[in-house]
Amino acid sequence: MAEIAAFLRTNRLAAFGLALLAAILVCVIAGPLVYEVSPTRLNILKRLAPPGPDFWLGTDALGRDVLARVLHGGRVTLVVGCGVVALAFVTGATIGMISGFAGGWIDVVVMRLADAMLSFPSLVLAIALAAAFGPSLENAMLAVAITLMPQFARVARAQAVSVSARPYVEAAVTLGLTRRRILLRYVFANGVGPLFVQATLALGAAILQTASLGFLGLGAQPPAAEWGADVSINLDFVRSAPWVALAPGAGILLAVMAFNLIGDGLAEWLDPRRRPAQ
Amino acid sequence: MRFVAGRLAALVPVLALVLAIVFLLVRAIPGDPAVVLLGPGATQAQIAALRDQLRLDLPAPLQFLEYVAALARGDLGTSLKTGEPVLREILLRLPATIELTVLATIAAVLVGIPLGVVCATRANGPLDHMLRLVSLVGVSVPAFLLALVLQLVFASWLGWLPVSGRTSALALDPPITGFAVFDALLRGDGAAARGALAHLVLPCAVLAAFLAATLGRYVRNSMLETLGEDFVRTARAKGMARVRVVYVHALRNALLPAVTVIGLKSAEMLGGAILTETIFAWPGIGRYMFEAIRNRDFPVIQGTTLVFALIYVTTSLVVDLIHGALDPRVRKRLR
Repeated sequence: MAEIAAFLRTNRLAAFGLALLAAILVCVIAGPLVYEVSPTRLNILKRLAPPGPDFWLGTDALGRDVLARVLHGGRVTLVVGCGVVALAFVTGATIGMISGFAGGWIDVVVMRLADAMLSFPSLVLAIALAAAFGPSLENAMLAVAITLMPQFARVARAQAVSVSARPYVEAAVTLGLTRRRILLRYVFANGVGPLFVQATLALGAAILQTASLGFLGLGAQPPAAEWGADVSINLDFVRSAPWVALAPGAGILLAVMAFNLIGDGLAEWLDPRRRPAQ
Repeated sequence: MRFVAGRLAALVPVLALVLAIVFLLVRAIPGDPAVVLLGPGATQAQIAALRDQLRLDLPAPLQFLEYVAALARGDLGTSLKTGEPVLREILLRLPATIELTVLATIAAVLVGIPLGVVCATRANGPLDHMLRLVSLVGVSVPAFLLALVLQLVFASWLGWLPVSGRTSALALDPPITGFAVFDALLRGDGAAARGALAHLVLPCAVLAAFLAATLGRYVRNSMLETLGEDFVRTARAKGMARVRVVYVHALRNALLPAVTVIGLKSAEMLGGAILTETIFAWPGIGRYMFEAIRNRDFPVIQGTTLVFALIYVTTSLVVDLIHGALDPRVRKRLR
């Protein structure tokens, strides 16, 4: 803990990222409990009302409270981002670890498949998959998780290859432990560390991609509040009432920034070469 | 030559799997793809015709072989919406996307590299923190949000630049090269060239922002690593001026891996082009793909996805070859 505190004192940007994430989490978790306005309640008489004492961030084209939608939409966007990364982490790490540990043709096939998936611009593949699965938040999550999975598989595979060559794994093989036990108890347990850094770095990308799918109409469907979709549905009113799209857009920007700052800080902490030369 | 042959050979299985993934897109549609694509109002005859067009009645391996054979003939299928061959539609729109992404790449390199160098030479100072924050905003901002802000400020409020579109002049004249600025210049029409350039500024800025910020962050880290290397310390110990050490010795070495970042991220930019072209009504293949998604026009979605992947794979190959040509260590490692 003392080491983390010392690092945060020297890396102000990482500390700022943590503070920003904490503030966002407080807003989206506690916000809707304090600000008890429904994000889906229509009020046509008050449509496109500017920010003011009645509606702090104004209202959208259907008279819905923008602040309420930002707070509730933030919950969806953050849960979706974490869910996508968790799914990509678990499947990618499992496949990569098995591939690296097993070696041989399994490793060749899995890595060529990962290469093929990484041969698409990631957003293009996510869009194509989400279009195939059909427009819904769950399908968008699945599509983004599939595009992120090869990155986790590659890191996990590299870790498995490296850990498998260590003397304690050789000792476990000599002792006659089953391959499954060696994989879970030694290879996975000792190789999983860098995958957490990868996960932190992937969170920003996951939120950005899911929001982009939402913006294209392939994510959350109306009337659900979600930051990307909320920018999209308010596009036609952006010139007369910019707050309707800018508020959820700013939410995405701040959340992605927070995760990128923390990811950068973690990567710098673990890699001494990236610290400034004295 | 062995290096080039090795890279090309490694590409074959990857390309085969890329084709398989694109082929499987239609098969990933839950239920009967023909029923889903035609919607609830379709007749049995229409469904049967589409099943026949998409070859859905054949066994999957045969469907795949037919798909590959059709691709070899240059047949990417026919649009369900317009009935036009997908390849022809893509080729019509490709120059617009290339024009946008190439100019955005140039702009990003011109901004990103100096940004990274300035940050590295003033590491952890106030200027470094400020520029890192700016570049962080660049990699974190969704393309559609940046596009909206730029449209609001420079088009709606200030009125300096057009809100969207490519150029009005091109619609009247048949394209020569398909590149709006070149075509206007070839016709000697200065006003049309200026108009085409003005239309390019905002979408270019949106696309370039991510690459410039990524490149800035990468060059900063790469410079910091290089500045800590023994040869830099030796050069300083020999009394060489700091400016010469930083800008000649360190920068040259730090920029070498940046070639890979520029190549791959500029190809990755194609994903951003879908969003940017949609918002700016830019008539490229990104917008074509977006319209196909709205219409559930799967032959077009497959065709555009494949073209994006082929551009990405080709760019990766070219980047590897350039990197190999510049750095003998890479040739040795990848051989």
